[in-house]
Amino acid sequence: MSAEDTGRRNLEARLRGLLGGMDASAGFEARVMQRVSMLAVAPREDLRVQFERRRELRRRRLRREVWMNGMTTLGLGACAAALLWRFAPEIQRLAANSASLIDPGLLAVGTLAALGAGVWLLISRARG
Amino acid sequence: MPADNAISELIQAGRAEAAFEQLVPAFRRRVFGLAYSLLRDRGAAEDVAQEVFVKLWQALPRYNGRAQLSTWIYAITRNTAISAMRRRRRSVSMSDPAVFEEVESRGAASEAGLDDAALWRNVGALPDKQRQAVILYYQEDRPVEEVAAMMGLPVNTVKTHLHRARASLAAALAGAGEEVA
Repeated sequence: MSAEDTGRRNLEARLRGLLGGMDASAGFEARVMQRVSMLAVAPREDLRVQFERRRELRRRRLRREVWMNGMTTLGLGACAAALLWRFAPEIQRLAANSASLIDPGLLAVGTLAALGAGVWLLISRARG
Repeated sequence: MPADNAISELIQAGRAEAAFEQLVPAFRRRVFGLAYSLLRDRGAAEDVAQEVFVKLWQALPRYNGRAQLSTWIYAITRNTAISAMRRRRRSVSMSDPAVFEEVESRGAASEAGLDDAALWRNVGALPDKQRQAVILYYQEDRPVEEVAAMMGLPVNTVKTHLHRARASLAAALAGAGEEVA
């Protein structure tokens, strides 16, 4: 160990000795409790009211989120349905072309995977 | 800290009294230490610590759990201590008579006692942030991260303050003829 390390350890030990015992005087906590007990009981009531209010706000936020999620899903579904309806002939042609180009087995696996991912997303969102 | 989380949960559950009973002993030394590191006067620091706990009691309903409990308490302590400093309207000196007497009496005129007094004077002569970091770090062997949270500074900045403070103290004591190394 170098002299510098020893010096540093020595200094640190002295600082710990000097500052380590620093604390408020005896009876500090009792004095705090006494001061607090002299205050009006309002904060306790206030705390309960605030707690109820926060719970109500949380409940409302959750309800709003559920509603928003539902509307988003509905909107997306409506858009998808409209697109399908609007481009039905093109989609039909594309599907027919794809079916002739892509292996039907692979297409089935891909479709199932996409469906699975969608369902998993919906479930995880519902849980979250 | 796990205790801090337990207290926070009690507050969130609306159990103010139970939370406060745990909060005072859990934060007493931290609040006092932080107040002392800013005010450099034991009596004033204790007054500020008392004021902080009363404020905490009154502010508990407003604690929403978004910030860490300790961060919230440190901010209240820093603000209360700074207000107290402004009220006193004088630049405080490190020669806190109560502590100085205690340090000198500990050694009862022995060489060690005088050495401690010299060290104490040198700690007091450090720049504000360095002195604060030294007091908070060595008061309870706290992790630097905790000291940083107490001071409201980044961890690396606190590490720099501590490093510089130790270097200054070592140089000052060596200059005074004390054996540091």
